[in-house]
Amino acid sequence: MLSRNYKEKTIEWTLFSVSVLTVVVLFLICLFLFRDGLLVFRDTSLMDFLTGKFWYPTSVNRQFGLLPLFFGSLIVTAGAIIFAVPLGIAAAIYISEIADPRIADFLKPFIEILAGIPSVVFGFFGLVVLVPIIQNNFNLPTGQTALTGSIMLGIMALPTIITISEDAISSVPSTLEQGSLALGATKWQTIYKVIVPAALSGISAAVMLGIGRAIGETMTLMMVTGNTAVIPSFPGGFLASVRTMTATIALEMGEVPQGSTHFHALFAVGSVLFIITFLINLIADSIKKRYQFKVD
Amino acid sequence: MELNADVKESDHKATRVQGGLNFRLNAKTSEKIAFAFLGLSVLIVVGFVLVILAYIVYNGYNAINIGFLTEMPRLMMTQGGIYPAIVGTLYLIIGSMTVALPVGVMVAIYLNEYAGETRTTWLIEMAINNLAGTPSVVFGLFGLALFVKYFGFGPSLLSSSLTLSLLILPVIIRATEEALLTVPKEYRESSLALGVSKWQTIRHVVLPAAIPGIVTGSVLSIGRVAGETAPILFTGVAYFLPRLPDSVYSQFMALPYHLFVLATAGTNIAKTRSIQYGTALVLLIIVLGLNLVAVLIRRHYRKKLKV
Amino acid sequence: MTEGIQNVSKPQIKVENLNLWYGEKQALKNVSMNIPKNSITALIGPSGCGKSTFIRCLNRMNDLINNCKIEGKVTIESDNIYGPDVDVVDLRKSVGMVFQKPNPFPMSIYDNVAYGPRIHGANRKDLDGIVEQALHSAAIWDEVSDRLKSPALSLSGGQQQRLCIARTLAVKPKIILFDEPTSALDPISTLRIEDLTMNLKKDYTIVIVTHNMQQAARISDYTGFFLMGELIEFGQTKQIFQNPREKSTEDYITGRFG
Repeated sequence: MLSRNYKEKTIEWTLFSVSVLTVVVLFLICLFLFRDGLLVFRDTSLMDFLTGKFWYPTSVNRQFGLLPLFFGSLIVTAGAIIFAVPLGIAAAIYISEIADPRIADFLKPFIEILAGIPSVVFGFFGLVVLVPIIQNNFNLPTGQTALTGSIMLGIMALPTIITISEDAISSVPSTLEQGSLALGATKWQTIYKVIVPAALSGISAAVMLGIGRAIGETMTLMMVTGNTAVIPSFPGGFLASVRTMTATIALEMGEVPQGSTHFHALFAVGSVLFIITFLINLIADSIKKRYQFKVD
Repeated sequence: MELNADVKESDHKATRVQGGLNFRLNAKTSEKIAFAFLGLSVLIVVGFVLVILAYIVYNGYNAINIGFLTEMPRLMMTQGGIYPAIVGTLYLIIGSMTVALPVGVMVAIYLNEYAGETRTTWLIEMAINNLAGTPSVVFGLFGLALFVKYFGFGPSLLSSSLTLSLLILPVIIRATEEALLTVPKEYRESSLALGVSKWQTIRHVVLPAAIPGIVTGSVLSIGRVAGETAPILFTGVAYFLPRLPDSVYSQFMALPYHLFVLATAGTNIAKTRSIQYGTALVLLIIVLGLNLVAVLIRRHYRKKLKV
Repeated sequence: MTEGIQNVSKPQIKVENLNLWYGEKQALKNVSMNIPKNSITALIGPSGCGKSTFIRCLNRMNDLINNCKIEGKVTIESDNIYGPDVDVVDLRKSVGMVFQKPNPFPMSIYDNVAYGPRIHGANRKDLDGIVEQALHSAAIWDEVSDRLKSPALSLSGGQQQRLCIARTLAVKPKIILFDEPTSALDPISTLRIEDLTMNLKKDYTIVIVTHNMQQAARISDYTGFFLMGELIEFGQTKQIFQNPREKSTEDYITGRFG
């Protein structure tokens, strides 16, 4: 009797410890990123890093300015979101509200396939198909532009946006839909005046997570955006090469001497990236929480 | 955009239809336009998928033959097969699943069966959510700092596998949790009522019922491991190796990185196009094949539940 | 079967041989009924007897269910509502419905009531008047007039249900269907809603599904008793309750029934 209780307690305690490991990992990620990242400030001031307009890591007069990389990520992500959000939400509405359930069941695997394609394959497709198209259509010296990145990234963010929006839309109680239809509203009026507003926080969470997915994407962007570290102009910057924070880390980390300022600068960029996605996740999470409350 | 279309339609119709009816046609028409637009969106999304798949398959299937799958690359990777990349990816899968699967299942069991609504639980949930949202390149940096440097594993299969296991941990936890949630409460209660202890109930009643869901989640994360590049970039993947890895401390080649290198930095990008398409196709087949397996398992399981 | 008061002069709703299946299962069997204008008709019967299914045929809410098949004829003011060129949306505009559980939209009190008129193209400057009048008619104006902009979900259950009635009234229907409108409410809210329905009778034809026999007896002019998908008896409420023709009706009314 006692020994069995002892065994049960041991098991519970083991499971608990393993679970706490996830928190430890997150903590370690912060610790190791920030530890190596902060060392860059032995050579560069925080202000120079955050507001520097030039990323010249290897020239004699080296500068580690985050802005070109930050705006590179920003313009590519913004472009992706501008077309992926309406497209994704529209598709989610169609699948959850309009399509016959059998057709919806037929459509959903396509979204899953899209989510499953490795980013390097997206990058490869973008490189061999989209890059020449962009180059020829806009008559550019190179087709590796922010726009190319935005399009590929938008496609890649679609599954996140569609799946989570669809969840949010389908969890709006059907009594609301019936109430609206019973007042003589058309299905479409019901969708955009009642169902979508009621699902709005869930949809916002979907958009946030889509943005998080887009900001963190590396391989695809490295392959299609040209990787030029200059602050993009707007809107002309869409047709120029840019370099994102993620691509910078991936491109340069392989070649830097470990422990050098450049090495630490890349960790600092990684820390910024981590903080941004961390905040985005927190926001998405709190939006979702609020929304679950409402449905109950 | 719709509003404009709306107005136009009504102007158009108003010449033929009398006042009162006019409005109803209007709402009906805008509904039709809206639904057409929404349907079109779905078609575009499906179109993206089909175009990408068709393009890779069409260009890649010629490159694939037994030799391509079983030979080492030759002549600075401009000829020969992708055997070492396939083997490397396979090792990564085995390595990362060995760590992530047991840990993930244990965390899910704890969260679903034991955890109360405490601050610690909230903290664990939050950590998992954030791990799921952390960019893969950040995992790469972390792997470099912790496994390669701090633990001194060097750039190796071990470092990469461990890094990837952190990346897929949230996937396995979520899938397992979902599977555990679908196990009816009655199973647990009736087992407990027989005087069976909690852990025994979980082991003999709850877990077996959740196996299909756990398998689905595992298969999905295997696909993830096979496709990820950024996390292995600084933790052990190599551009070219003449030999297969012979220990966990060896470097290795992997399919996605192989494709990346050939497509962007190879010795002769144009000359290796066919190898690139072939590699992309093999990668797609592995990843989507695993996804398909996951879907089939899920479907099979769902049917069984219904009967 | 239903020879009770079929001599009603000019029924507003006329149901003839209505049959309904959910997939293989027949939920309504050959139901015929005439409902006169400006009256309250109560439909009673044990749960699962088809009374809610029946009421949902009158505004075609059953169309929303996938494998639902309907045969027979329902005529409202000389229009066959299952006819080929009937616009369901128009139908629901003139046949309103109040549901079992209050289902206000997650928006303000004002917007809830204005929702219908807005989508039906009401003039912006008329809206305030329409909303106020609907809230008055639903006997909730005094309670909410000073907080029209606050969320509808902040109201109590009984208030929410009266708000839903106001929302229905604002569309100016001819007929209002109540699907067990008080089953989720406390006794006091229930009485208020009952009073309200009796006042509304002046302007609207009301059909109410209820599992509460006292309620049926208190407020209705006509009563129909359903059992296993069949309309067992239909007649004036007084007659049904005091002198039921069928044994099963009597059993149900006197509570000798499952």
